[in-house]
Amino acid sequence: MNNMNGRSRAMGAMVLAMFIAVFVQLNVIQVARSDELANDPRNPRQIEASFNEPRGSIVTIDGVVIANSVPSEGRYTTQRVYPQGSLYGHITGYVSIVYGTAGAEQSFNDLLSAQTTSADTLGSLFADRTLVGDVTLTIDSRVQQVAAEQLAGRRGSVVALNPQTGAILAMYSNPTFDPNTLGSQDQTAVRAAWAALNDDPLNPLLARSFREVYSPGSTFKVVTAAAAYEQRPDLVDKAYPQLSVLDLPNTSSDLPNFGGSTCGGSLTELLRVSCNTGFGQMGIDLGPQALVTQSELFGFNSEPPIDLPSAASSAFSPVSAFDQDIPALAQSAIGQRDVRATPLQMALIAAGIANNGVIMKPHVLAEACDTTGALLRQYAPSAWRTAMSTANSGALTNDMIGVVVRGTATRAAIPGVTVAAKTGTAQTFGNSANAWLISFAPAENPTVAIAVIIEDQEGLGDITGGRYAAPVAKAVMEAALSAQSIP
Amino acid sequence: MTTVDTSAETVGQRLGRDRRRTELGLIAFAAVLIAALYALASLGFSADLPANLVPFVAFVVGLTVVLHLSIRRLAPLADPVLLGTVTMLTGLGYVMVLRLNEELAAQQATWCAVGTVAFVGTLYFVKRARDLQRYRYIFAVTGLVLLVMPMVPGIGTTINGARLWVRIGPVSFQPGEFVKITLAIFVASYLVEKRELMSMGTRRLGPVLLPDLKHFGPVVLMWGVSFATLFVQRDLGSSALFFALFVSMLWVATGRALYPSLAGFLFVGGVLIAWRQFEYLRNRVDVWIDPWSVAQGGGFQLVQAWYDMGSGGLTGQGIGRGTPTRIPFVETDFIFAAIGEELGLFGTTLILVAMLLLVGAGLRAAIRSRNPFEKLLATGLVTVLGVQTFIITGGITRLLPLTGITLPFVSYGGSSLVTNFILIAILVRISHDAEEEALRRDLRVSSDGSTV
Repeated sequence: MNNMNGRSRAMGAMVLAMFIAVFVQLNVIQVARSDELANDPRNPRQIEASFNEPRGSIVTIDGVVIANSVPSEGRYTTQRVYPQGSLYGHITGYVSIVYGTAGAEQSFNDLLSAQTTSADTLGSLFADRTLVGDVTLTIDSRVQQVAAEQLAGRRGSVVALNPQTGAILAMYSNPTFDPNTLGSQDQTAVRAAWAALNDDPLNPLLARSFREVYSPGSTFKVVTAAAAYEQRPDLVDKAYPQLSVLDLPNTSSDLPNFGGSTCGGSLTELLRVSCNTGFGQMGIDLGPQALVTQSELFGFNSEPPIDLPSAASSAFSPVSAFDQDIPALAQSAIGQRDVRATPLQMALIAAGIANNGVIMKPHVLAEACDTTGALLRQYAPSAWRTAMSTANSGALTNDMIGVVVRGTATRAAIPGVTVAAKTGTAQTFGNSANAWLISFAPAENPTVAIAVIIEDQEGLGDITGGRYAAPVAKAVMEAALSAQSIP
Repeated sequence: MTTVDTSAETVGQRLGRDRRRTELGLIAFAAVLIAALYALASLGFSADLPANLVPFVAFVVGLTVVLHLSIRRLAPLADPVLLGTVTMLTGLGYVMVLRLNEELAAQQATWCAVGTVAFVGTLYFVKRARDLQRYRYIFAVTGLVLLVMPMVPGIGTTINGARLWVRIGPVSFQPGEFVKITLAIFVASYLVEKRELMSMGTRRLGPVLLPDLKHFGPVVLMWGVSFATLFVQRDLGSSALFFALFVSMLWVATGRALYPSLAGFLFVGGVLIAWRQFEYLRNRVDVWIDPWSVAQGGGFQLVQAWYDMGSGGLTGQGIGRGTPTRIPFVETDFIFAAIGEELGLFGTTLILVAMLLLVGAGLRAAIRSRNPFEKLLATGLVTVLGVQTFIITGGITRLLPLTGITLPFVSYGGSSLVTNFILIAILVRISHDAEEEALRRDLRVSSDGSTV
C-alpha cells in the first residue's frame, strides 16, 4: 500500500518531468527564438496582421502615389493598391497574403507598417494610437514614365541615377507585372496570379535591372580603360596596331572587330570606335590581376548596397581563371566570356566615372515621415567605392565624350548638353546580341548616369548598342535633366 | 480534562466549509480572470466592450456555481483545487474558442452545460468510487463497444483520415474519448484483484523471477486494444494514451519494472510494424524531424504554430490581437499554439501549471485514499490527463511527433469536455471519500485515546 503511494508520487514526478520538458521547449520557442520566428520573412502572421492595419503610402520624389492602403469591406479592413499598375512593380514589390512582401514593401516594412505609440493617459489606452510611415522614394515619375515608354514592346532595362548622391531616378525593366494582382485578399486569386506570372516564359516578376546579369560587352571596355589609366599609364598612349582580327594563342576562335572593320591607335581612339582588337590586346598587356582589381573597384563580385532586397552581384572571374588562358583574358577585357553585369552595375560604373571616380551607394529611399509629419528617416548619401582618381576619371570622361561626338554613340547626343557614353553590343548564345549603352551628363558636372540594355529579340534586326540603346538613353537623359531643372 | 467537541460531523463540517470556501475563492478568481479575458478579446477585435459581457459572465459563473453547489452537497470534503483548476482551464479554453470561432463557441457552451450535468450526475450516482469495481466487466465491454463503434457502417464517420467519429442523428461524438475512463476503471479493478499474484515471481528465467505466464494475458490484451486503435482507427494519439494508461497502472499496481519494460518492448514492436504499414506515420516522423522543409505541405501546421508561438513571445500579442486562425484545427489540437500567440509564455505556462496543480490534487486524493482501487483509479486518471496534455503540447513544441488529440478542458470538443468533467467528478468523489475516511480514522484514534 505504501509502495503504491510511492509509485503514485513517481507518476506525479513523471508528469512533472514531462511538463518541465514542455516548459523548457516553450522557453526556446517563445523567448530564445521569439524574435527570429516573429521576424521570419516567411511568417505570414505579420503580413496577415498588416492587412487589418493601416500602412503607409509610397510616393515618388515628385509626389506621385505608387502604393497606398485604402479601407476595404472585404475579408480584411484595408486593401493595398498600386495606382500606377505595372510601372513601379519591380520597385514597390508587393504585400501578398500568401507570398509575403517584396521590393520596397519589404525593405521599408518597418517604416510603412503600423506602429502603436505609447498610451500617455488611461483613456488613450483603447483609442487608436497607430501611426504609419509614408515613404518618399528618389524615383522621379517623369523619368520612370519615359523609361517605360522607351522600352515599350521590347525586353530590357533602364537604370538612371544621380552620380553625386546615388539616388535612383528611374529603374524600369520590361516585361513587368502589376502588383495589384498579388495584393488581393483572396488567396486563391493570389495563387492563380502567381502561377500565371511564374509560368510566363518572359518571367515578368524578375526585376532585370538589378537582379539579372548579362554579358556587358563593349560597355565593359571603360573598365579595361580605367585599369590602364590607374595601373598601367604607359598603355594609355601606346599605339595599338591597326588590325581587323586579333590572333589569339591556343585557339581557333580569334578576336575580330565588329563588322570586320580595321582599327587601332591610342586608348582614346580605341574607345571611340569600340576597337575589339585593341582592347583585347590591352587586356593581355594589363594581365589578369589588373583587370580583376579594377573590376572589383567598380563593384564586381560584390552585392551592390542598394536598399531593395536581393540585388544580384555582377561577376568577373578570379585571377586563377586566366592561368594559361590568354584568349579568356582578351575576351574578358571586352566584356565577353564569363563577365556578367546587372544594368544597375553598369549604371554605377558610369556614375563612378562621372563622380570623380567615387561610386555613391545606390538608393531609392529619400525620406520617410509619420502620419503627423514628423521625420522618421532621411537618406544621407555616402560613398560605396573609389574606383579611380579624379584626374583619371576626368581623362576617361573626355574619352567617353569622344564616343558621343564622333564615335559609336552619336545617337545619344543631346543638343546643348555634353554627354559621355559607351556603347556595347554583347554577343549572347547563338547569333543574337544585347544592345547596351552607359552614359552620363552634363559631362562638366554630371547629375545623371544611365545604363540601358535592350535584349535581343525577333524583329529588331541587326542589334547594336549605338542603334538601339543610345536613343533610349538619350530620351531618358533628357527627361532626367529636365526633371532636375524643374523640381 | 476539558471535552472538546470532536464529533465526526462537526470536524467534517468545519473542514468541508473551509474547503468549499477556498474553492469558491478559486473559482471566483478564475471567473474574474475569464471575464476579463473575454472583455479584452472583444477589445482586441473591435475596441469595444462586448455587448453580451453580462450574460457571458452570468453563464460562466452560473455553471461553476452549479458545480460548486453540487460538490458542497455531494462531496463537501473534496480537494478544492480540483474544481478551481478545472474552472480556470475550461474558462480559458472557452474564451479562446470564442475568440477563434464564435459558431463553435456556442456549441462549446452547450457542451460545458452538458459536462456540468454529467459532473453532477456522476457525483450523485456514484456514492462511493469503490462501488464502480462491481461493474468492471460492464465497463470493459462498454469500452470495447465504444472503441469499435466508429467502425460500424452507417454510424461510423471518418473525419480527417481518422475513423473516430460516430454520428447518430444530428449528434456526432468521439466514443474513444470516453473509453479512457471505462478502461481505467476496468484496469484498476482488475489489477487490484490480481496485483499480488502479478507481482510475485514463480518461475525463474536466468536471474529474473517471472510471474506466472497467465498474468501476461491482460498485458497482451491491453496492448492489443492500443494497437487496434492505432491500426484500425489510425489514431496514434489515443493509442499512445491508452498504452500509457495501461503501463503506468500496471507499474503502480505491481511495482514490477518487468511489465513496463515488456510493454515498452511490445509498443516499440507495434510501432515498427505500423511504421512499415502506414505512410502517414512515416510522414509524421519526417515532419517532426524537419517541418521547415515541408512548410507549405505536411509541416504547415507545426511551422505556423511555431511562428505564432514565437510571435507571442513572453507576454503574447494580446487576446484577439493575434492571427492564429490560419492554423488548421486551431480550436482543437492547436489551441495551445493560439494561447501561446495571444497570451505568450505566460498563457502557456498558466495552462501547464493549472494542469500540474490538477494532477497534483488528483494524486493527493490517490495517496490519501486507503482503498487500493480508488488509489489506482485516481492515479490512472490523472496520468491520463498529464500524458494527454504532454502528447499534444509536446507535439506542438516538437518534443514528440505530432499526434492530434485534445488539450483536456481547453480544446474545443464535446466528447472530450464531457468525458473530462466525468473524470473530474470521479476524482472529486475519491478525494471526498478519502478525506471522510481519514476523518473517521482520526476520530476513532482520538476516541480510543480518550477511553483508555
